[in-house]
Amino acid sequence: MENILEAKNLSKTYLLNRRQHHILKNLNLKVKKGEFLAVMGPSGSGKSTLLYNISGMDKMTAGEVVFANEKLSQLNEDQLSAIRLKKMGFVFQQINLLKNLGIMDNIIISAFMAGDEKRDEISKRAHELMKKTGIIELTENEITQVSGGQLQRAAICRALINQPQILFADEPTGALNSSAAEDVMSVLQKINQEGTTIMMVTHDVKVAAHSERILYMIDGNIEGEYNLDKFKENSELKERESSLSRWLLNMGF
Amino acid sequence: MILVIYKIIKNDLLKKKVIMTAVFIFIMLSALLIAGGSRMLIDLNNSINSLFDKSSAAHFIQSHTGELNEEEILNWSREKESVKKHQISEMISIDGSKIFINGEKSESDTVMDLNFVKQNQDFDYMLNLNNQKIKVNKGEIAVPIYYLQRLDLNLGDSMKIEGDKKQFNFKITSFVRDVQMNPSIISSKRFVVNADDFEKLSPLGESEYQIAFQLNDLNQLQQFRDEYSRTELPQKGPTIDYQLLKMANAVTDGLIAAVIILISLLLNLIALLCLRFIILLTLEEDYREIGVMKAIGIKSKKIKKIYFYKYLFIALTASLMGYIFSIALNKLFAKNIALYIGKAPESLIQVLIPFLAALIVALFVIIFSLIVLRRFKKISAVEAIRMGSRGDLNINSSSFSLFKSKYLNSSIFLGLRDVILRYKLYAVLFIVFILSTFIIIVPVNFLNTIQSADFISYMGVGKSDIIIDIRQSKNIEQRFKEIINYLEDDAEVEKFSPYITSQYEIINQDGEAENLMVETGDFSIFQLDYLEGGAPLLENEIALSYLLAEQFNKKVGEEMEMIIKGRPQRMLITGIYQDITDGGKTAKANIEADFSSAAWYTINLDISGNRAEKIAEYKQNFEDVKITDPDEYFQQTFKNTIDQLELLTFSSLVIVILITVLITSLFIKTLTAKDKSQIAVKKAIGISLKNIKLEYITKALFVLNLGIILGTITANTLGEKIVSAALSIVGAAEINFKISVFQSYIIIPLLLILFVSLTVLWSLKSINDLSIADINVE
Repeated sequence: MENILEAKNLSKTYLLNRRQHHILKNLNLKVKKGEFLAVMGPSGSGKSTLLYNISGMDKMTAGEVVFANEKLSQLNEDQLSAIRLKKMGFVFQQINLLKNLGIMDNIIISAFMAGDEKRDEISKRAHELMKKTGIIELTENEITQVSGGQLQRAAICRALINQPQILFADEPTGALNSSAAEDVMSVLQKINQEGTTIMMVTHDVKVAAHSERILYMIDGNIEGEYNLDKFKENSELKERESSLSRWLLNMGF
Repeated sequence: MILVIYKIIKNDLLKKKVIMTAVFIFIMLSALLIAGGSRMLIDLNNSINSLFDKSSAAHFIQSHTGELNEEEILNWSREKESVKKHQISEMISIDGSKIFINGEKSESDTVMDLNFVKQNQDFDYMLNLNNQKIKVNKGEIAVPIYYLQRLDLNLGDSMKIEGDKKQFNFKITSFVRDVQMNPSIISSKRFVVNADDFEKLSPLGESEYQIAFQLNDLNQLQQFRDEYSRTELPQKGPTIDYQLLKMANAVTDGLIAAVIILISLLLNLIALLCLRFIILLTLEEDYREIGVMKAIGIKSKKIKKIYFYKYLFIALTASLMGYIFSIALNKLFAKNIALYIGKAPESLIQVLIPFLAALIVALFVIIFSLIVLRRFKKISAVEAIRMGSRGDLNINSSSFSLFKSKYLNSSIFLGLRDVILRYKLYAVLFIVFILSTFIIIVPVNFLNTIQSADFISYMGVGKSDIIIDIRQSKNIEQRFKEIINYLEDDAEVEKFSPYITSQYEIINQDGEAENLMVETGDFSIFQLDYLEGGAPLLENEIALSYLLAEQFNKKVGEEMEMIIKGRPQRMLITGIYQDITDGGKTAKANIEADFSSAAWYTINLDISGNRAEKIAEYKQNFEDVKITDPDEYFQQTFKNTIDQLELLTFSSLVIVILITVLITSLFIKTLTAKDKSQIAVKKAIGISLKNIKLEYITKALFVLNLGIILGTITANTLGEKIVSAALSIVGAAEINFKISVFQSYIIIPLLLILFVSLTVLWSLKSINDLSIADINVE
């Protein structure tokens, strides 16, 4: 299958208190089009840093990331913004909706800012996404008026509004209770099945079990890879979870 | 406790250095200006008193041109108990074209009456810059301060006067501080020469006498003035009294001091607004902590105290520093006063009053912070801990949603939306922009007004091309008629109207006769703008100047009694006009001229040809006349005022731009710090820096434009009223601003927009570095 994103010898070094901290060390990675990839690993292993660097949100120290045939290191801040806006979608652990905007405005803002489509069409698509994620009744709501799970689903709608080629999710269920987490995962599952590539960082085995490929990071590098079949039904989740758990145990998780 | 407070103050000052520094500076500047302004007023008052004392100023002066019987005056004043001293001094008025002050250029263009005098014997002394009586030897001359300043003269410079056959050379050995003719707004100046030289200069010009009196009791001035006017003693010329002298000396610097104090109050207002902004911001930031403190049982009062001490500390130190700086700057504030009026001995009041004024600034700030801090009571412990922030939307946002907007650029929409939804947050910026616009527009409009050709109407004169003043001399009636005949035959004269100002008796509100100079002639030819009513057309009609109408407490349509040719006649008041000349108290009537008591003659005319050529022609053909181009006259008499006003306008422009830049930058920096996580989210999801910056520029410019509109409206309404109120003291109660559309509505707004945009862009630089790591940092 075709690669949508490739990281070559990716390194990230922070300078903290005059000491260098190597967070990513010559990391290599390929993300295939349409796949559901999960990145796991202990705290501090560099999972989130990897996500921020390959999405152009943070500047890599060395190496290269190629996304949709473009070398990110050669793009300037504006070009990187444009790629994030139009070709990538983001879902964060802390949800991070814009405080002073309502639910609907939070969803459509990226598309309005991109300015490539008619506003009516954007609104129409936003409604479809909201229907798909089960929050259609929240169109007129403020973000302070709804639950955490609903907010995260709205955040997923925002991430998808520009029909991105890849969706990055950083601990998307980290701040949610278990039932809300399940709702969110089934939404992501559905999107992936419809063709959106997903790269997700998570701690949670239950969440990772929704993906088809799991990378295990230790100390700034990918130390292992585990493949599952494409997720089909909820009934098989238990089984996927237990086989993944066994592998993770071997990896020292 | 003190240690804890010290620590809190220190930490907080460090954390909010920029905005705290700004508040500190505003309070300090406010204290500095109010201390400086009040010191200036005290200095002005002391210096004037000292000058009037040292020069032994006259209480009443009657100018007179023509024959004079000294014996008569002497006898009359000896009989008057109220008279302490009297003195007759002669002045020689020489035409400017004969006078060369330190150079080869004559004073032919001057509108000043250049008078040469001997030092007075008994009072009304002309002083040097050390407030000592001037003594000049043969060949020496003392020159008015006006010329020292205008021509940048030095002692030892030369001056020459050209006679018909002989030339007189003088060395400048002193500068004249002249209690009577000091102010530049008085268009007469006295040069002091030695008695011998005075005799020699006599044939070069016209003689004019000043009959001066000092009274035993100043309170009897009005009574004395009336008594004098009822006599047959010489009265062909204007009169000046002690009050008028004081006002003329005080008006320029007094107005400047008032403006400085006004600016100080405005700065204080800005400081208070900034303070309110910081207090509310701090409360919001510390909301959770305050809640926790309340929850664990610390009393609101105690928490409030911790915050209060901080502002108390800032208010007191800033005001004190402002006061200390004002002492250093006193020389600058009092420069003009020191030059024109001189220095008075120092007194304790000069130190004490400015100090108290600075303290009042501090007091304002302290009381204000106490008021704002009352919000502490409203914070509920539970809500504060649970919510962590109060949220700052003032209006429900769903009514103003981005997804409902069809066409407007999204960043611009979000900017506008934010200003409307969080309007309370933008109040500081809004008010500062209104004030800024107001502070620039008012002086600019006033400057345009005073420079416009129409300003002459505030001087009680209808607009005309040329004004001819005919000096008192023998056969004046004859010459007056000759000139009129000449004008009648001059094809280039479009219209003209002669006016004769004579003294009449008027019965005042107490039923007593009072003397008044009334200008007679046909006032329909050169129309004056009347505040109320119109020109007097019939023989029993009269128009009064604003101050005179105030004094007599008369309105249009009412009547007053006037003695004409010895018979009382009731006159109907047809109009009230503005006049800042002659102390603002003049009257006009269309009655037959009384040549016997005529004080001066003028002719206004409009011509079709070249104005300068016409003036030159008349100067050649008419003797002993003063021919002025009203524009030129105006330019020169008001030159000093216009210069001062230009300086004031320019300074206010610079100050306002500095304040605007400072406040905008503070505001945007604080706002972006507050919105930091939101901006980071926007950047993370791919909204470009350009779009984020556009949103913030929209916010600032939206508020700015509203501020400019409101500021301009306020300047044109309230500003006009304030200027009118200030000028009503001198006789112009209703100033109509002449607005230069280009300056007021294009250049100034564009300038503000430019500076604000650049400041916003500069202040937004810090968001370039915001990253995903800042999302969760509030």
